Amino acid sequence: MRKFTSKFTALLLAGMLLLGLLPLMAQAAEPVKLTMGSWRSDDVAQVSELMAKYKEMTGVEIVFEPTVPNQYNPTLELQLKNGTGPDLMYARSYAVGQKLYEAGYFMPLDDVAGLEANFPAAALDGWRAADGKMFAVPYAAVSQITYYNKGMFAENGWEVPKTFEELLTLAQAIKDKGIEPFANGIASDWDILECVFLGMLPNYVGGIDERAKYEAGEKKMNDEAFLKALTDYAALTKFFPDGFESIGNEDGPALLGLGRAAMFIDGSWTVGMFNEYEDLDVGYFAIPAPEGNTPGLCFHTDMGIAGNTATKHPEEVKAFLSWLATPEGANTAASYLPGGFYPMINNPAELTDEKAKEIQALGEGKVLDSRFIWSKLVDMYTVMVDQLNLIARGETTPEAAAEVFAAEQAKALGQ
Amino acid sequence: MQKTARQPRLSASRINQGGGYWIWYVLPALIVYIMFMAYPMLDSVRLSLYDGTTGEFAGFANYVTLFTDPDTAARFWGAFGNTWVFFAYHMLVQNMLGMLFAVILTNRTMRGRGFYQTIIFIPVTIAVMVTGYLFKLLLNPSFARYALQDMGLGALARPWLGKEETALHVVSLVSVWQWVGIPTMMFVAGLQGISEDLMEAADIAGANSWQTFWYIKLPLVMPVVGMIAILTFVNNFNAFDIIYSMTGPKGQPNYSTDLIGSLFYRVGVVGDHPISNPNPGLGAAISTSVFLMLLAGVIPTLRATQSKE
Amino acid sequence: MERNQANKSRPRSMRLSNLHIPSHILMLVWMLVVLIPVYLLVANALKTKRGMYDNPFGLPNPLTFDNFQSVIQDGNFFSYFGNSLFVVGVSLFAILLLGSLAGYGLAHWRGKTSRGIYFGFVFGMMLPIKIATIRLMELMKGFGLFNNLWSLILVYIAMGLPIAVFILTEFIRGLPRDLYEAAHIDGARQHKIYGSIVLPLIKPALATVGIYNLVPIWNDLWFPLIFITQDDKKTVLLAVTRLQGQYATDWPRVFALLTLSALPVIALYLAMSKQFVTGLTAGAVKG
Repeated sequence: MRKFTSKFTALLLAGMLLLGLLPLMAQAAEPVKLTMGSWRSDDVAQVSELMAKYKEMTGVEIVFEPTVPNQYNPTLELQLKNGTGPDLMYARSYAVGQKLYEAGYFMPLDDVAGLEANFPAAALDGWRAADGKMFAVPYAAVSQITYYNKGMFAENGWEVPKTFEELLTLAQAIKDKGIEPFANGIASDWDILECVFLGMLPNYVGGIDERAKYEAGEKKMNDEAFLKALTDYAALTKFFPDGFESIGNEDGPALLGLGRAAMFIDGSWTVGMFNEYEDLDVGYFAIPAPEGNTPGLCFHTDMGIAGNTATKHPEEVKAFLSWLATPEGANTAASYLPGGFYPMINNPAELTDEKAKEIQALGEGKVLDSRFIWSKLVDMYTVMVDQLNLIARGETTPEAAAEVFAAEQAKALGQ
Repeated sequence: MQKTARQPRLSASRINQGGGYWIWYVLPALIVYIMFMAYPMLDSVRLSLYDGTTGEFAGFANYVTLFTDPDTAARFWGAFGNTWVFFAYHMLVQNMLGMLFAVILTNRTMRGRGFYQTIIFIPVTIAVMVTGYLFKLLLNPSFARYALQDMGLGALARPWLGKEETALHVVSLVSVWQWVGIPTMMFVAGLQGISEDLMEAADIAGANSWQTFWYIKLPLVMPVVGMIAILTFVNNFNAFDIIYSMTGPKGQPNYSTDLIGSLFYRVGVVGDHPISNPNPGLGAAISTSVFLMLLAGVIPTLRATQSKE
Repeated sequence: MERNQANKSRPRSMRLSNLHIPSHILMLVWMLVVLIPVYLLVANALKTKRGMYDNPFGLPNPLTFDNFQSVIQDGNFFSYFGNSLFVVGVSLFAILLLGSLAGYGLAHWRGKTSRGIYFGFVFGMMLPIKIATIRLMELMKGFGLFNNLWSLILVYIAMGLPIAVFILTEFIRGLPRDLYEAAHIDGARQHKIYGSIVLPLIKPALATVGIYNLVPIWNDLWFPLIFITQDDKKTVLLAVTRLQGQYATDWPRVFALLTLSALPVIALYLAMSKQFVTGLTAGAVKG
């Protein structure tokens, strides 16, 4: 009898345990829910729409969980280190992304069909690891351009400058009118490098082949081309607004939009910001090259999407990335991208946003390249942005800054 | 908390019971503290002896880098000096104002004391991040330049946070604005403890208000002064949010508002933007060095101001 | 200075100096210093973008609630506040309880071990807990507390205890000894002395500790940033930094966001300020 009771108890316990596990099993049968990390906190609405569309097609839900840009890299790394990273995530191109791949956090994507064939080599380059494998699907590229107030230009008979020298003359004319020529400031500590200086640079050093020479140490960053770029940059900063030391990147659209400044050098991703200024008719031109130089444009492979090696749903993650690597997927995703982000797929569908199209056309016939330091010299970022700030403040000269660049270049290349 | 059964019977002589009894009062706090603070922190101090990238034992290499590598040492001493300026503002402006406010607020014949005290404390309730963002906007020349020019006050629309000469002072003053309620409140509590008889006696003896303050009130609130000094010291050496929200993690312009707190954050936790290459070893070396310096400052202050047992 | 014999014989309240004119002037000036930024915060949150740039100091004209509306739409503020309040409330309660017990113990327990423990706590005030981030993450991972508000609470309790122990031990040591003697003569048990005699007497110190800890806990962004990724577990400040980045170009909306995160707390404080001020000042202990 006693034996029976204990057996019965054991059975009962087992039954209860099973019952306790049931909800867990039920959960497993529920539709898969993936998370996606990103630094684009501005794009919640657009990306959520894309994900709703994807869920409609596949039944897989992807929740977009962005972090503010300057917190993204450090928090992502900590999360990945502890196995709590998102299933899918935006991956920065070149060195920053490569580092996370090499640490084993990003899935190698060599088995994603069509990835190599569907994108141009330059786009793939951004997310290719040292071992030759891809670690992210190219998602969007951006460029750095000059926005201007069309109405103001027409009113005053100003014309879009064709050379850098013309740009400076124009800036002086605008200043003489009592209007701030540029809406750029240095308070944000990144756009002065990423948008202004690296935006100008292809006009001075040329494209990817020339960049490679600097990355190999054959050319030094205090050569004639760099010195010219820094000198022109210094001349440009003289036309930054009064109090530019406190003006950040986010103040630019307002200064332009409210008619207080005439031009603003910034990334293509800002294009949507001008919509809310009804009086503003915004125009675009590429930062002009100095007389005699080949015009270039910084067309930067910016966002890729990577999969987490530690995900609980590797199949669904791979499926999403594979879809994104097909022309159909890439074009669908592109149609939900905010203005100013460009798909990198071969033969992309035509953009629907007129403004974005206009900006895209600025690259035609120019030498295109990613941001100069992104591939091999990204360790120079802080030093460069600091030097550019000092030039703008008038606390150092282009010559001295070029020397610092060259020394730092040697350090970054281990020479 | 306490198991009654464990408690021995009490009598008047038991006030000075030994550790075997009192440890039960201390234990719960001690366990949480050791588990979630002391152990992880000491273990992180150990990190300062390891290479930040390879994770191998490196002896004092991080300390050598910190004090001899020209770039690193320049940042460290720069941040160290800035932190002292920041601290000086809090000691001199914040704590003196706090004392002044407290003396006014404890004057029994002053009207509206409760009201004023309420107002002074308002900024403390606002999150530092929020205060920082708020003042960053208000101090941006593009916020009010045209309005100020119309008022003939165009000179006020300066890039206060963008100039190396002014940024640190402005950030310090904003922090003083935020925190002055704390020393005020602590001084009020301290001053109210001074017996009325003593004040009456001083009054009858013909002491003026300055004399009363200097010879009676101040010596009596000395332990509070010491406590506030230490808290100010410690908080200022760990300050980070105000810099992060007002002048960014690099302590712009040109590192002129970089404090130990922001330097540690950059070096030890997040690394340089955009590569994000934190060096936990070097970061731990920074905080350990600062910890030793704090200790050198705190212990004498404690000795000088706290009542001996 | 001006106190002469005649003055002294008059009741205090009748002296001219008791009008405290300089004191009132100083207080009113400081009041403006405090309130003007708060006014600008709220007023500009109620303006349109153009309205703010045209008239940054004036009252909102035209008045708009759109900024608040869009902020509330973009974030689940009730949930953020609920999470923050829960974390702050539980952490503070635990800090005060554990801290006062430990303070009571350390104040009475004389000896090397006791001093060692006391300084062990005090040292904790001097190190930024952020250096322990990696270790804490491993710990929380071990306990399965990611995306759980308790991960924050445990860290905050540990973070708050040093200051609690430091202040409360000092305060309890300062209590007159005859107090205990009397209680002991009455035959009160030790934990009763703690509950019915010590606790009421150290109220001001408890308030100080509470406020001193309320501030960093309420302000903390770092640990939520690392431990919490799920939206329904986010704290107010975590939401503020994300939305602040998102709105950066739209100042009135940033002002609305900041107002939403600051005003409820200010209002709560103002509603309770009477108890607060009396609580702080009643029964203050001799220094």
